[in-house]
Amino acid sequence: MWQVTPGQTLAARQWDDELVVFNSLSGATHLLGLGATVLLGALQQGPADETTLAVALQAEFELDGAEIGAELPPMLARLAKLGLIQPCPCSPA
Amino acid sequence: MKPALLVKVLRDPQRASGLAPRAWELLLSQARAAGLHGALPFLLEDAGMEAPPAPRRHLDWLRTEALRHRDSMRNEVRLIARALADGGRDAEQLLLLKGAAYLMANLPPARGRLFGDVDILVPKRALPAVERALVLHGWTGTKLDAYDQRYYREWMHELPPLEHMQRGTTIDVHHAILPETAGLRPDPERLRGSAVPIAWPDGVQGEYPLSTLSPQDMVLHSALHLFWDGEFDHGLRDLYDLHRLLAEFGKRPGFWAGLVPRAAELELMRPLFYALRYAAALLGTPVPEDVSRMLRRAGPNRLLLRVMDGLFLRSLQPMHPSCSDASSGIARFVLYVRGNWLRMPPVLLARHLFHKAFISSRPAEEARTAE
Amino acid sequence: MPLLASLTHAELRRRLHEGELVLRTGPFTTRIRSDIAQVSDGLARLYAAHPVEDADSFADFQVNLLRSSGWRRWIRPQVLFDHGGNAPFTPLPLGQSQPMFEWVMNWCVSNHAHSYLIVHAAVLERNGRALILPAPPGSGKSTLCAALAMRGWRLLSDELALVRCADGQLAPLVRPVSLKNKSLDVIRAFAPEARFGLPVGGTIKGTIGHLAPPAASVARADEPALAAWVVFPRFEAGAATSLTPVSKAQTFMRLIDNAFNYALLGERGFEVLARLVDDCEGSDFVYSRLDEAIALFDGMSAEAP
Repeated sequence: MWQVTPGQTLAARQWDDELVVFNSLSGATHLLGLGATVLLGALQQGPADETTLAVALQAEFELDGAEIGAELPPMLARLAKLGLIQPCPCSPA
Repeated sequence: MKPALLVKVLRDPQRASGLAPRAWELLLSQARAAGLHGALPFLLEDAGMEAPPAPRRHLDWLRTEALRHRDSMRNEVRLIARALADGGRDAEQLLLLKGAAYLMANLPPARGRLFGDVDILVPKRALPAVERALVLHGWTGTKLDAYDQRYYREWMHELPPLEHMQRGTTIDVHHAILPETAGLRPDPERLRGSAVPIAWPDGVQGEYPLSTLSPQDMVLHSALHLFWDGEFDHGLRDLYDLHRLLAEFGKRPGFWAGLVPRAAELELMRPLFYALRYAAALLGTPVPEDVSRMLRRAGPNRLLLRVMDGLFLRSLQPMHPSCSDASSGIARFVLYVRGNWLRMPPVLLARHLFHKAFISSRPAEEARTAE
Repeated sequence: MPLLASLTHAELRRRLHEGELVLRTGPFTTRIRSDIAQVSDGLARLYAAHPVEDADSFADFQVNLLRSSGWRRWIRPQVLFDHGGNAPFTPLPLGQSQPMFEWVMNWCVSNHAHSYLIVHAAVLERNGRALILPAPPGSGKSTLCAALAMRGWRLLSDELALVRCADGQLAPLVRPVSLKNKSLDVIRAFAPEARFGLPVGGTIKGTIGHLAPPAASVARADEPALAAWVVFPRFEAGAATSLTPVSKAQTFMRLIDNAFNYALLGERGFEVLARLVDDCEGSDFVYSRLDEAIALFDGMSAEAP
């Protein structure tokens, strides 16, 4: 299960296929591609597990299950490293 | 010695009313020299003082800067807590000292503060685990030679400062509030035993229980830090912190009654004597008569007191050309030596100062080269 | 308001000695104290068109450039910048007082003026639209800036782009353009009518000289401008002139790299920068020939928005 980092507020701006996002908690600014944008957007709505997130990605991109399966964990790890999301011990909403 | 304009305004913010343009310029300049420039907009606002447009612009700039420091420091404390939580909890509580404590406990000295390092107090036995946890999360020892490393670990009361590799922030991990080589030994176990838990502010979730020193211990630590450390760059700011702490805690029942007994217990009567004496003299801090009376017995003999008055009152002025007379530099130097002397026996002192002057000073100079 | 040129040399030196020279550069006033001849000469040559204010007015910044005292003054005289008792920079050889003055003036603004998002960039305006040229040292930004300023573009700044947080407009500073080594020769040839300060050799950047800002630009220092282009320049000997689009998000991130106080402004900084990028086209620009570069920018400014 994953969630956005509690207590953080994000300011964001999208131009075409790129998103710049400011994290009020860390003070850092990041440039994210569309895949990461979709994941972050999904998690902003509430904690979710990898299956739910995979479905969100599938809805937006023309990817098959295997591709998503391979791409999703490193993307989540990267977002976690940036401090934007973290693993969540909670149960699904 | 005439008190500086800044000191007058700290004592009574209404003095800022009707200042001529050039006096505003001087006030801002002195505030910067004293490290109190962040506090100035808030102190004037709290007193209902409105500045004319030209200086008001500066106060707005300073407010922006201070708010940034606050957010940054809150984040820093959160990340330190996470590192310690991952490291196995040997320290049991995240006991914050000085600026970080004022901020997280919402105390008056946090208002407009331009924060520096984070200071924490941990049991001596927890030092290795704490150091490991921090290093694992990206902190690293700053480039100190072997001598400086020993200085900190063996003779001082803290790990050498640890700097975070990405954020560039610094944490000082103390296991006592005075070094082992000093004459006074305020017992850190007692300090930790009286620590008060504080809540994490809304929205900033923390993974470790937070605490600060008790109000009396916080005041004593502030007094000790000011009068025993010897580095007077921010003497006035530290005195003003103390003044604000006393204003806040003085309202709480039992605070004044317990302050002197606690000072006696921790062997900190002399620093408290000086602290209250100079806060009252410079900033008009109200101190109950019976407290002053009890402390007078802990003061030095009359001759020494006269010398100390001369030294301290000079060196507590802002370090600004408008406030210096010929003896201020000497005063500061004497107090620097005294500060180090009180922390280390005379033989060790000379060696350390010798080493510092001839080996450590170069890197600092390079870092200051103009672009 | 009187201009600096209206002061006699004697009066200028007197005010500098007493700390009574208050110089206006765009939105800021600076109280300057100095006992160094090079500083007063530099001011006379490069700031003739700038307004001076009353000695008793409120000055935003205090710049004290003094000969350092002590035994050094006889063997290797030095200049020390003292900012109200603080000495943030190491002293430099006395002969480098003029460049030090310029560096110090930049430092004052970028360290304090947090009602602006401050970006390390040149800013020029033509036909009501402004061009921002961010660039790390060595990119040829200053040469381009000087050339454009000498060819009809209004100079707002050579080093610091001041984006007003309140409305996103660019505030002019209009100070001398700092040129190094070969650039000095290039611009002298390019604009023989230009007015320069005395060149100073032996600095950490080589030989430095300053071009006085055109009086017409100084006179319009209270007119802000709206940004339309962000162009990242790069001088490359022998290269063909080329302009390549950069995405808005990339422009955004690269402007952060060149900003002084973006982090300090926090979310406000993000909003101000986003609004700026919204209104601008970002590009990478490579050039080797100055005249071609000017022609390209002139063409850009002539096009309808």
